[in-house]
Amino acid sequence: MVEAVKRALNRISVEQIKLELLGTAYNSSSTFLGRLDPRMLLIWYLFFAITPWFVYNRTILLGMFVFMVVTTVLSRVSPYIVFILCLGLVSQIGWMFLLSLFFGGGAESLLPMLTLTLKLSVISLASITVFSSLDPERLSDGLSALGVPDAFAFSLSYGYRILPTLLEEFHQILLSFRLRGQRPLKHGFLYMRTAAYYLRILVLVFYPLMLNTAKRSRTTVEALETRGYTYAVNNPQVKKLRLSYLEMQRRDWLFAAFSAVYVGLLFPLGTVFPNLIY
Amino acid sequence: MSTLKTRYTLTQSQKMMIFVLSMSLYGLSNMFTELIPSVQLGPVELSVEYFAFIPLTLCMLFHPLYAAVGAAVGEIIFGELMLGQFGGLGELEKFITFSMAMYIAGRMVSDPKNRRQVGIAAISGVAIHQFCSSVIDIVKVWVGVEELEAVKGLAESIVIIEGVGFLNDVLFSGILFALLPTMYLVPRLYGKIEPLLGMKPRERNMQYASGGGNRLSPKLAGGGLVLALVALGAELLSESGWSIGEFELPGAESNESLLIWISMLAAALIAALAIIFTLRRASRRRQEAGQLDG
Repeated sequence: MVEAVKRALNRISVEQIKLELLGTAYNSSSTFLGRLDPRMLLIWYLFFAITPWFVYNRTILLGMFVFMVVTTVLSRVSPYIVFILCLGLVSQIGWMFLLSLFFGGGAESLLPMLTLTLKLSVISLASITVFSSLDPERLSDGLSALGVPDAFAFSLSYGYRILPTLLEEFHQILLSFRLRGQRPLKHGFLYMRTAAYYLRILVLVFYPLMLNTAKRSRTTVEALETRGYTYAVNNPQVKKLRLSYLEMQRRDWLFAAFSAVYVGLLFPLGTVFPNLIY
Repeated sequence: MSTLKTRYTLTQSQKMMIFVLSMSLYGLSNMFTELIPSVQLGPVELSVEYFAFIPLTLCMLFHPLYAAVGAAVGEIIFGELMLGQFGGLGELEKFITFSMAMYIAGRMVSDPKNRRQVGIAAISGVAIHQFCSSVIDIVKVWVGVEELEAVKGLAESIVIIEGVGFLNDVLFSGILFALLPTMYLVPRLYGKIEPLLGMKPRERNMQYASGGGNRLSPKLAGGGLVLALVALGAELLSESGWSIGEFELPGAESNESLLIWISMLAAALIAALAIIFTLRRASRRRQEAGQLDG
């Protein structure tokens, strides 16, 4: 327990987090999936985000899961993200299982749990695949082509642009706080003191950061307005021009067709062998 | 001192500034809170759920609608999409409950310099949001797990887990990361941060010009939301045939389909609300933008 906390605390250097975040946010578009049409990928994702909720057949779910694993491997997601996902799933399910044992359930409660885990994994893997392999420009264009409000699409691009700056600034302020402050001399029980110290600083940092960001967001909006942002957003012609480069190519059709055939085959297979695996 | 209530009106670009500010700040904080590991003490999880003080503070200082929606968008973009943790449609529910709760908290404050008011609003904002998400989570599992009634103790354990989670989030995260920082920040930032965006600070008893109108008081909205959720929860409880001290299994088949229908209905409702909301915003934007040369 103490070891785990220690390891976790060692992991949380701001530098480390910064690198991890930047790596996740910006390594994309060179993968096979990153080159596909964003509109098609988003629709593909919607299917895999909704259907698993209403499928109770384990064979079908397992088939979907295998497919998702393959696409996730194709999109070269950072292992750290996958690890976080797995940890979340396992801990959630584990606690439920333990508690249901406590209430007089038994090992048989594991099966429905497993089904739920499968569902959740299919959904999460689909989202990781799509959203980590599309670069921000293509993603926001795809969203706005599908009729998502432009404010959201803009925010997405802006977020990717501003993140390094924000992180840098945050880090500077954090360092200045640490320079002026005094770290607790003892770590305390379970590193409680150290954790409390850092969390307090983490909160305090936001005071100067809020003021700085306020100035920055004003500058951003003014710069946007001088270029006629509001006008462009509300003008359908501009949008058409901006999205004109999106087109379905052969590989998009192939990918969509393969997914459709695969899922189409899964359903009859699932009805014939409902308990293929367990 | 005029007795007339001055209206708090904002230009289009000021609304956008508030939106961008709230989005980037809360998004950034969300990245950290996603990565801070939680301490598990048995089934009780001490985790930093979120830095709710950021949207709360901004909602109290500026127009709550834009600050709340901005924060919810920021969470989705920075905390989910960029980290590859986008949960899909589940995010929609989070988006709506979160922005709603923050909006209500912002509306509850009429005088940002009044610390007591600020504190009460902050904690109720967190409580409303956590309550909604707990109820929704419970419903989700009941729909998602097949043969729920067949597994003894599963339904109860989920309720227990969610209840503990709710208490933890409100008491631990709520006090440490919403109540205290908000009470510290709001009076300090008041009058300092508004000029940076080129606005006048909110004055006492200023009425908001738009966003919900003045008939929809925060108390009414919050109460209505909570009541609706309680009703939904009670409905589902009675339908699933789970009552304490009675372990009869009703027809699982019809039950399941009924649950699915209920969940579909809820999803449809939420989707419809979201669509109406965005359409209204878009049309308002268009009106404000003036004429288009189509």
